[in-house]
Amino acid sequence: MAEIENMDETKQYIVAKLGSEQYGIDIAYVDNIVRMQKITRVPKTQPYFLGVINLRGEIIPVMSMRDKLEMEEGEITGSTRIIIIKPEQNASLGLLVDEVREVVTLSEEDVEKVAYDNGREDTGIYVTGVGKYKDTLISLINISGIISD
Amino acid sequence: MDLSQYLEIFIDETKEHLQTLNDQVLIMEQDPENIDTVNEIFRAAHSLKGMAGTMGFKRMQRLTHDLENVFSEIRNGKMSVTPDIVDIVFKCLDALEGYLANIQDSADEGTEDNEEIIDLLNATLATGLGQSEDSEPPKAEAAPVSAPAGEEDKRKFRKLPIADYEVNAMKEAMERGMHAYGATVYIQETCILKAARAFLVFKGVEAVGEIIRSEPSSQDIEDEKFDFDFSLFIISEKSKEEIEKIISNVSEIKEVVLEPFTPETIQSTPEPEPEVVKEAPKEAEESGEKTEAAPEKKKAAETKKKPVVNRSVRVDIEKLDDLMNLVSELIIAKNGLVSVSESEESSHNQQFNEQIEYLERITTNLHESVMKVRMVPIESVVNRFPRMIRDLSKKLNKEMELIMTGEETELDRTVIDEIGDPLMHMLRNAADHGLESTLDRIKKGKPQVGTIRLNAYQDGNNVTIEVSDDGGGVDVEKVKASAVKKGNISEEQAEMMSDKEAIDLLFQPAFSTAEKISDVSGRGVGLDVVKSKIEGLGGDVEVNSVLGEGTTFIVRLPLTLAIIQALMVDIREEKYAIPLNSIVTVEDIPSEDVKLIQNKEVITLRGSVIPLIRLDQVLDMEPAEEEPESLVVVIVKKGDKQAGLVIDNLIGQQEIVIKPFGKYIYIHRMFSGATILGDGGVALIIDANTLV
Repeated sequence: MAEIENMDETKQYIVAKLGSEQYGIDIAYVDNIVRMQKITRVPKTQPYFLGVINLRGEIIPVMSMRDKLEMEEGEITGSTRIIIIKPEQNASLGLLVDEVREVVTLSEEDVEKVAYDNGREDTGIYVTGVGKYKDTLISLINISGIISD
Repeated sequence: MDLSQYLEIFIDETKEHLQTLNDQVLIMEQDPENIDTVNEIFRAAHSLKGMAGTMGFKRMQRLTHDLENVFSEIRNGKMSVTPDIVDIVFKCLDALEGYLANIQDSADEGTEDNEEIIDLLNATLATGLGQSEDSEPPKAEAAPVSAPAGEEDKRKFRKLPIADYEVNAMKEAMERGMHAYGATVYIQETCILKAARAFLVFKGVEAVGEIIRSEPSSQDIEDEKFDFDFSLFIISEKSKEEIEKIISNVSEIKEVVLEPFTPETIQSTPEPEPEVVKEAPKEAEESGEKTEAAPEKKKAAETKKKPVVNRSVRVDIEKLDDLMNLVSELIIAKNGLVSVSESEESSHNQQFNEQIEYLERITTNLHESVMKVRMVPIESVVNRFPRMIRDLSKKLNKEMELIMTGEETELDRTVIDEIGDPLMHMLRNAADHGLESTLDRIKKGKPQVGTIRLNAYQDGNNVTIEVSDDGGGVDVEKVKASAVKKGNISEEQAEMMSDKEAIDLLFQPAFSTAEKISDVSGRGVGLDVVKSKIEGLGGDVEVNSVLGEGTTFIVRLPLTLAIIQALMVDIREEKYAIPLNSIVTVEDIPSEDVKLIQNKEVITLRGSVIPLIRLDQVLDMEPAEEEPESLVVVIVKKGDKQAGLVIDNLIGQQEIVIKPFGKYIYIHRMFSGATILGDGGVALIIDANTLV
């Protein structure tokens, strides 16, 4: 019961690694995590899209999180994963990350909201806050910001 | 009673009846003397009233009731058809469509009473009847529906004319000690198989006597050509009560009104006889109770005798979509099996390959069958156009006629649902901009009445719909001037442009050459929307126009959306699919045959010059290190334009399932979708139309 009472204040995040940094994705959006597979290039699309994959008959676009966050190119290794998120019903998106580490539970006091410049909208910003977990920092990804452009 | 389960049937049937009404009233307008048309209209209006009443849509019922009254009088020859009546009737039909739209949205008819139209209808009735000699008081006819029909009305058989030989037959029978009866049988209005019920009544009565006459005739009754009642003259030895019991034992019979006929009643004109009147309904009520108690037993016997009226089933379109999706999955799975069997050919025996081929045949047939189930004749979309053109003709004050051919051509349901608006727009366009005013036409020596044609036909895997008019055609110079003025193109561009290119300007957003803005068309939203909608359906649209002679819009649509035949090709390491319906041929062209014209690569094929499109460049690939000796060129067409797509390698023809890309990725319009390959990979589908 204690858990349920705490639901309002705590959220679970999937922690993914990009280079040396850790990013958290709200588990409520996550549909699946799959291993790296053949990605079909889509010419003339946004540069941070690597292409599309077939996941059980559904065509899902895959975005490189490194490209999206303007980090340097990474290498595809055995631990590379595609996190499939479902921001809306019937609309999926794959996020390519270097590694998926664990699921963490953060309460509201563990999260420090990123201060936005005045007047900036929620969308267009990829990180909403920074969570402290044990002695590491986790940047929390803003899903609506990622899919809005 | 819960009527919601009947709502869909009601909506479908109401649509059909309204369509019939629209069609027939149009015919009536042309040919006011045609009594068949009037009968048809009367029948449709009557059924509509009955259905609306059953479903409890009182306002709709009232309006149809008044409509029916008007036609009842026309049918009886007491009124004649005037243009005014036609206009009012059309208004009335529009109002009914309004009710129907409300019912579709909210299962409720809404609160619009349409008093105005009802008043108009009744006024028509009053003036129409005033002119004729033996007028019945119109008020009696136009009484509100809510008032129950008088008991007098129930004995409809009394109004039937009786032939001499029938009278003689009855008299003879009576002399032999038999009884003659007149009867009117009412079937419950919810009854679906009323012909079957009537048949059982006939059968029951014939077992104990003879039916000397029925109204409508037994043939009409068998064909369900009657409303919810029919009348009989019966000769029988049995008593009145016995016959009543026999009839009311048939289930779904609402009421039986039976009355003995004496020679006096036969000969004298039927006058109301109060005693009998009181008696008859009472009996009927009693028998009504019996009806409710008895019917169950009979059901089993009836089902066997059900006439095969209609061997079709109404199916929710979603179920068909599910079925189609499953077939798609099956085809993907089959493609997977095929690619496995090809890659490990040596390890399989011949039997395995035969089975694979068998499976391929079955899935292809299955796909075709499911596709056929989803096909709907375009009639369901285009049948509202004659009415629209008639209204436009009045509104624009131009004389015009619409000639439609090929309405039976079938298209996938999804396409049908989307194609209505673009077609309507093109027709409006033809009526408003295409055709000249009647005066201009006379001046030019053209037939006074402008002609708009809508022609549909199947052409391979496509369906072509042509909308043409014999109007003034597109004035290319005017189009160019307008485009320059709006800044869509520069003057230099305008000069360079071919007529065809200039006509294509019409499809640019916010482009309208109409100088006046009318509420018919000319708001500048239009042809571009038409084009994007049709392209969204995987089709394309083209215009041909001859100045002074007319304009033709040609719309090509794919027969089906989900599964297509495609040519699989290799370009470098990547696989792409090109829909087969846009491919003309595949050619091997020696590299030295490629020529440059205006710095563009072209090839000459059987006398025509075809521009070459290097797909590797279009697809942002690194240029090939060395030019191969010969190029594999896929010749594609769009309308009468052709282009050659250069590929590296042909893989072969395959049945592919078109899948949408996810929502979040930007897709260039040259790709119409993606498909899943046999090995689980993804290939993009190149929409050749966008490249030509």
